[in-house]
Amino acid sequence: MKKNYLQKVLAVALAGTMAMGTLTGCGSEPASNSSEGSTGSESTEQSSAEESSSEESSSEENSSEEAGGEENSGTDAGTAGIDGYTAFAENVTLKIPVYDRGQEGVPAIGTGDNVWEGWIQENFGDKYNITVEFVPITRTAVLESYNLLAADQNLPTILMEYDYPKLAQWVADGMLTTYDMEQFKQIAPTYYQRMVDLDQIKYTTMNDETYFVLAERPYYNTNYTFMTWYRMDWLEEVGYDHVPATREEYLDAMKKIQDAGLAAHPGGGAMTTGTAGVDQNYAFREYPTNEEEWAMYGDYAIPSLGWEPNKRLLKEQNENYNLGITNPEYYTIDAETAKANFINGETYQYSDYIAADIAWLTSFYQTNPDAHLVVGVQSLEADTAYGTVPAFRSNNPFGMMIGFSSQAAEDEIKAAMMYMEWMTQEENLFVMQWGYENDNFTYNDSNLPESVGDYAGDNKQGFSNNKDYWCVTIEARNAGTIEDMIKAASPKGLPEDFTDDIIQNYYNQVQAWEKGWVPTDCMFATELPSVAEYQGTLLTLYAELRDQLVMCDPEEFDAKYEEAAQRYADAGYEAVTQERLQAYQDGLSSRQE
Amino acid sequence: MAKSKDAKVAVQTKTTWKNALKRDWQLYLLLLFPLAMVFIFNYAAYPGMRLVFMDYKPAKGYAGSEWVGWATFAKVFKDADFVRALKSSIVFNLLDLIVGFPMPIILALMLNELRYQKFKKVTQTILYLPHFLSWVIIGSVAYTMFRPETGLVNIAMMNAGIIEKGIPFLTEKYHWAVTYLLVGVWQGMGWGTIIYLAAITGISGELYEAAMIDGANRWKRMWHITLPGIKSTVVTLLIMNLGRVMGSNLERLREFGNTQVRDFQYQLAIYIYDKGLQNGRYSMSTAVNLFQSVVGLVLVLLADKVAKKLGEDGLL
Repeated sequence: MKKNYLQKVLAVALAGTMAMGTLTGCGSEPASNSSEGSTGSESTEQSSAEESSSEESSSEENSSEEAGGEENSGTDAGTAGIDGYTAFAENVTLKIPVYDRGQEGVPAIGTGDNVWEGWIQENFGDKYNITVEFVPITRTAVLESYNLLAADQNLPTILMEYDYPKLAQWVADGMLTTYDMEQFKQIAPTYYQRMVDLDQIKYTTMNDETYFVLAERPYYNTNYTFMTWYRMDWLEEVGYDHVPATREEYLDAMKKIQDAGLAAHPGGGAMTTGTAGVDQNYAFREYPTNEEEWAMYGDYAIPSLGWEPNKRLLKEQNENYNLGITNPEYYTIDAETAKANFINGETYQYSDYIAADIAWLTSFYQTNPDAHLVVGVQSLEADTAYGTVPAFRSNNPFGMMIGFSSQAAEDEIKAAMMYMEWMTQEENLFVMQWGYENDNFTYNDSNLPESVGDYAGDNKQGFSNNKDYWCVTIEARNAGTIEDMIKAASPKGLPEDFTDDIIQNYYNQVQAWEKGWVPTDCMFATELPSVAEYQGTLLTLYAELRDQLVMCDPEEFDAKYEEAAQRYADAGYEAVTQERLQAYQDGLSSRQE
Repeated sequence: MAKSKDAKVAVQTKTTWKNALKRDWQLYLLLLFPLAMVFIFNYAAYPGMRLVFMDYKPAKGYAGSEWVGWATFAKVFKDADFVRALKSSIVFNLLDLIVGFPMPIILALMLNELRYQKFKKVTQTILYLPHFLSWVIIGSVAYTMFRPETGLVNIAMMNAGIIEKGIPFLTEKYHWAVTYLLVGVWQGMGWGTIIYLAAITGISGELYEAAMIDGANRWKRMWHITLPGIKSTVVTLLIMNLGRVMGSNLERLREFGNTQVRDFQYQLAIYIYDKGLQNGRYSMSTAVNLFQSVVGLVLVLLADKVAKKLGEDGLL
């Protein structure tokens, strides 16, 4: 009898366990912390742990007080902007996407125990009867994440991305809804006025309908947070007192480094991963560039195999490979191994975003205590003998592009606009960007905030000082002048200081921009179905073809290039460039600045 | 008394649902949830498969997406990348079958012949272990070992004077094919022996004793008793494996891939992921997946029929 009872209890317990196991996946709570590493993330995002920014973003305080607002809506009729906000009569749920970068040691997104999410709820949500939910979006699979949420009829209230083509695709896929600019102006006057001041309104439409809201990107025309470090000790050993500025000097220096036995393959290298932004050929273009060609081939989202600047770039890569400057195994080396190779003293250069605390630089100096590094400063001289200019890509003249979900209710969209305006207010933005005094930041001698790099307590901020929360309004932090920002963000605690060179690099980049060497990619105000159709295929195919071209016999290069270009064109690039050309000729694209 | 006993026997031979449930309700309860799970995840999703006939957009859902009939299939079959992926998938899966299928059988026969139990158990455990390693780890270790210049194997062979130049185990497509297949065999063969070893234990010991008395040596006993004894298991597993000829393992392919071996590495799993899922083209990826499943099913049915004609039990 006892045994029988035991059996029954066991059976029920086991069945219960299985039932629980089976049903576990049926919850509606969004999964947190998914995702893999954050390497190779495309887009034009500025990513630095200690990013800097301008004197002042724009936020002119609160703005005009005029009419507007609707009943029962969170906004008071008659007062524009945040002063007119009232609590919604019925609770509204606002879902905000936040990039999940799979990083360890930062607060989890959307799990309810994130201090900063709690702060937003307390200071914004509770005030206006809005429940703010944060939805993690896997950084390395943005489109997939949004698609899955859309299929579940559970899209966040706003959708955000840095890349224009992704937004265009969302419009085409019916994931975004249009919005009323007048309503936005009424609810978010600070935000709206900034878009006007920064001349961003022209980017808000697609197919003549208003879809996008644009965040600010200070210093969009420079890449001052992204630097390249060079082994100056090696250069000195082979007779150079500067970083090679021309192709001739570069080849000479590399050969001497190889001959001196300092490195077998000083150029190193890493695999191309089939993401946007590979093999940027800005240095190989003619300036001013033919505008039609710029519209057809000049963008960063799909590599331009078949265009002359791309051919010249790959020819250079081919030469580097055949001279042994590039590691012959580069196509099997991932980004982390490439970094390790520099730390281990096997390569001559390495590029990364600047931050006050760069772990790999610390490791580098521990491994190579006598090494001497310099950062590359933007050149202002064209290499006329070789035919290149020190050009680089300008970012978009905006940060995040934001659209409103087609699945969101009217009140939810209104709440989203309120949220964006609220986040733009200086006092709110400051707390989100800098955190709490003494924990997350302290004031320096100039009375400017400075982050506490090694803070690890309960109030720890999310990735890059909570950037994935405040990117809804701006792309970089504000504190003082550009020089103040660079001083705060430059690497510290190392045997060498790079601050002056990083500042000089910024000023040189501005000059390069003034010379017309820093183009912005063409943007189209209409859907380009061929881009959505072929981009994935072309990116994958490009990785394959470019490696074949880089590794081929130099004498066969031209013939192989033609062959590869034809294959690439047939795989969809021809359709893409023709569609772009048509849109350009129809006046549905931006023009060169 | 005798009469009632007879009556009880009669009831037991014709069990009704009611009686069965009353007697074994605990077991049925345990079965209920796995059954529900299979139903929900394997059958309840079938109606959703209609998206292969639509230009499915997640935000628009089934109701809002346009019905396009067979257009997605037509588009996929015309796609040169699909043809390339299909060819590689079939070739590599057949090779996997040819190289990989006999290995667990051979290994099981060898293990069965081991007489020292402790050695046998340790060997078995060591052979099972690779099955539990993820392809991410195996791929990473493989690259560390087999890179042409800096791979441990090449360095060791060059230092020993066996070769002058590194062998491109993973960086030239034909070498890659061999490495890829052999690593696959290494990973799966130990685990594959379990079913065969279980089948071998079902063979009557008397057969072996009789054969020994008749003077059969170890080889002959293996050939004439063990192998025929597990023949039906071999046939069943072969039929099941044929169903996977159209399949492919995304993790294994991704971790072993590089741009130099794309011709061979570009198989259906990669095609579905790169072209379909990553770009949100669910109709396309579902169409290819459905195609794989249908071909797999047809192959299983055909193989089953052939096996039955050859006098085997078959699978169904």
